[in-house]
Amino acid sequence: MSAGSIGTVRPRSDARAKVTGTAVYTADVIPDDPLAGVVLRSPHAFARILSVDTARAAAMPGVRAVVYSGNVPAKPLDFGIKDQHLFPIDFARYRGEPVAAVAADTETQARAAAKAIDIVYEVMDPVTNIEQALAPGAQLVHPAWKSYEHSGERILRENVCAVNRIRRGDVDAALANAAVVVTSRFTFSGGLPGYLEPRAAVAQAGPDGTLTVWCGSQAPYSNRTEMAEFFELAPAKVRFINQFVGGAFGGKILMAPEWFAAALALRCDRPVRMAWSRHEDNLNAAPRHGGTATFTSCADADGTLRAMRASFAFDTGAYIGYGGGSALIATMLASAPYRIPNLDLEATLVYTNKQVAGPVRAPGGPQANFAKELHLDEIARKLGIDPLEFRLKNAWREGDESPSGQRLTSVSVVDVLQKAADAIGWDKPRASGSGRGIGATWWFSSCGLSEARVEVLTDGRVRVISGNPEIGTGSAAQALPIIVADALGIDPLGVEVVLADTGDSAEDGGVHGSTSTFSAGQAAGAAAAEARARLLDRAESLLEARHDDLDVRDGCVYVVGAPDSKATFAQLAAHGDEPVIGRGTAPEMGDPEIDNDLVQAHGFAAWPAASFTATAAEVTVDKETGRVDVLHIATAQDVGFAFNPAGVTGQIEGGAVQGLGWALTEGLVYDGAVLRDPDFKHYLLPTAVDAPRITAMIVECPSVEGPRGMKGVGEPPVTTPAAAIGNAIRDACGAVPHDTPMTPERVWRALQK
Amino acid sequence: MQPVHLCVNGLETDVEVHPLETLLHTLRDRIGLNGTKEGCGTGYCGACTVLVDGDAVNACLLLAVDADRKEVVTIEGLAGDAGALHPVQAAFVENGGLQCGFCTPGMILSAASLLAATPDPSDDEIRAGISGNLCRCTGYQSIVASVHDAARRLRESGRSGERPGPRAHIRSRA
Repeated sequence: MSAGSIGTVRPRSDARAKVTGTAVYTADVIPDDPLAGVVLRSPHAFARILSVDTARAAAMPGVRAVVYSGNVPAKPLDFGIKDQHLFPIDFARYRGEPVAAVAADTETQARAAAKAIDIVYEVMDPVTNIEQALAPGAQLVHPAWKSYEHSGERILRENVCAVNRIRRGDVDAALANAAVVVTSRFTFSGGLPGYLEPRAAVAQAGPDGTLTVWCGSQAPYSNRTEMAEFFELAPAKVRFINQFVGGAFGGKILMAPEWFAAALALRCDRPVRMAWSRHEDNLNAAPRHGGTATFTSCADADGTLRAMRASFAFDTGAYIGYGGGSALIATMLASAPYRIPNLDLEATLVYTNKQVAGPVRAPGGPQANFAKELHLDEIARKLGIDPLEFRLKNAWREGDESPSGQRLTSVSVVDVLQKAADAIGWDKPRASGSGRGIGATWWFSSCGLSEARVEVLTDGRVRVISGNPEIGTGSAAQALPIIVADALGIDPLGVEVVLADTGDSAEDGGVHGSTSTFSAGQAAGAAAAEARARLLDRAESLLEARHDDLDVRDGCVYVVGAPDSKATFAQLAAHGDEPVIGRGTAPEMGDPEIDNDLVQAHGFAAWPAASFTATAAEVTVDKETGRVDVLHIATAQDVGFAFNPAGVTGQIEGGAVQGLGWALTEGLVYDGAVLRDPDFKHYLLPTAVDAPRITAMIVECPSVEGPRGMKGVGEPPVTTPAAAIGNAIRDACGAVPHDTPMTPERVWRALQK
Repeated sequence: MQPVHLCVNGLETDVEVHPLETLLHTLRDRIGLNGTKEGCGTGYCGACTVLVDGDAVNACLLLAVDADRKEVVTIEGLAGDAGALHPVQAAFVENGGLQCGFCTPGMILSAASLLAATPDPSDDEIRAGISGNLCRCTGYQSIVASVHDAARRLRESGRSGERPGPRAHIRSRA
């Protein structure tokens, strides 16, 4: 029997710590006698490194270690293509790139020493944008690119580190015979993840070859393994202890200060603490990819879509990093979730001399959906068909095929579109100056490696140990207690959550790909079921009853029909030589079959437990100034099954406002290759005044693959708001910029055309 | 270094500070109150919001020497004796007004300051009142709901308009 906590709204287990200021984040970890670690960054966007001399810096007062390319392992990091070293050897490739680091007794001493590191640069003209990078004879960001090792069938060429393609049918023939053909071009700004907690790390090396890193990572286990391999340490001797994480949004998957604090600590006998300023953090923030897109599509006079050609170019910056996902995903979203029989979809990842773009929440999603949905509205308008009706007509239905030939199941596109539209009153008369827009998407679920333990302690407490980091979503702090409590018949607030610590041996692939509750939730559920079984085993002996005659609730095991015959969890935990422990592992989830003939150089074309999401927006536009006010965002998200509805609502609401920010105000503005504002002065994250009313609607169309039919939750709701807002702007005033952010100036200019 | 006398969360506190040191660093690095967060260090995000003589201020923009002889309330000073949550804190817990929690201390102190002056605020007044505090996780809707609920809790407990923070130790200013 279950306590029924699954699917109910419960407070977070970490809420009290967070409202009282006792929750510990990495910058709050103050070890005994710490050294201050600082990073020296390249002042140039592109420069050949002729020499590095650290002797003067190393001799300065208080300095305990200086690390640079000459005294750390020379092997490249591996992101599918080996194009990057811990510190650059031949060229510094973006302004702000870490080129050395210093540990000293005080931060003032460390900064003085960093300035004293003598690096001789030969300054070069940077490659500042995609157009320049792809021009014939362009300067190469990586002159030695042909010699780089890479995995798989990767398409490389000058200043290009990936090209992904999906093709089906005959696009040219369809375009030649079409009733209407529309071409649309778009540019997207890069965007910061915008987590409020700047990155920090503390590292300490032990005399016995151990290395401990206190951090706020999305993936401490894989970070641990990567760090151990890089410094050739035994993985068992490297321990990553995750703290509370002050937001991450994809920006804290890859190590950053962790690398430099560790490199320094391995040369010191004291712990090294490194806390980046916001300014430093924004120079290294792994932002969302900026880029361009061109769409050409055609339809019949009745609105039936026939063909689409879409081409994306994404600016990866100086290295590939974890940037490949944006291009892969963009090709999967370009035509979806709509029936289009003839497709030619391509995405190219381009090197420039900017900071390395990264896998920001739903990489490629907002960009692809903004372009696709604005483009589709242009076709609908040309045909004189209502945008909602046009989408409903072409929407995927059960059993349709994805662009890569995957047979789609539990398809809810029509449902989410209709719910989102209804929530903003799609058919009601529009007030002057106001407009409505809509957009839809699909997304994947992923089930990564995840292990969990559930322990019942001799004082009756229950705790869950999972390697899944708590980055704010509540996947660890809220969903896991709900799932564990459900199995054990207790209140979720009675379940203690132990934050991820690789020393605890509950391995987990980390927070990314909308995987957390999907994987860690299944591991914790299995662990709780086993803990329950162990409790019943002990109750059998203590209460002299059989499993079948026992019931678990309120922290006790009862004999059914004999309410006085019971044992508390504390008694049961103490009744035996060993603690009560249940262990669980997330099951493997296979990928759906695709048609491999349709994809080229594409490693991400099968999407299990696919989910569907639609967002509708209502805006007003001031035609005199171009000012846009978003009044209402309504998102209907099919999550298959909501284990933690409060968490889902939180993801939808937060995603709505992140999406709004990327749509309207958040732009990474570069002067050449130099980021103009590495603070939050001009990079405008939405405030409470900017945020609209949000209607979050949970749709449950159960997947075949997920636990209880669950589908991944975290990423989709950030991918559709910009599309809906853009279409609403055009609905309100007849014009819309094809560039993000859609600033008042751009809206005004679009109106003048 | 310069001596500064602060009343922090009701405790008279003497510290030596660098003349150019911000109150944020004095609180975190010298007094050990890490509940106050540094999100940007330049006054844009509000994560470091504390109450100085009852007003919500960015601790990263105030020199510690300029807080001399003033009363400072940080998130650690908001809960009552024996750990009873302040009504604003309780409202954020019950209404899910937080996710990652990094903006939460500053957000709660801004809300407490708002409610001390405006016991029954409208949606717009709440949004304006917390507009100096960025939150990247929640989209603010659950925070606005939390502040409405906090206002109700303060009214129902007869604490509307009360100055947030320890009550025992309001000193006369020199």
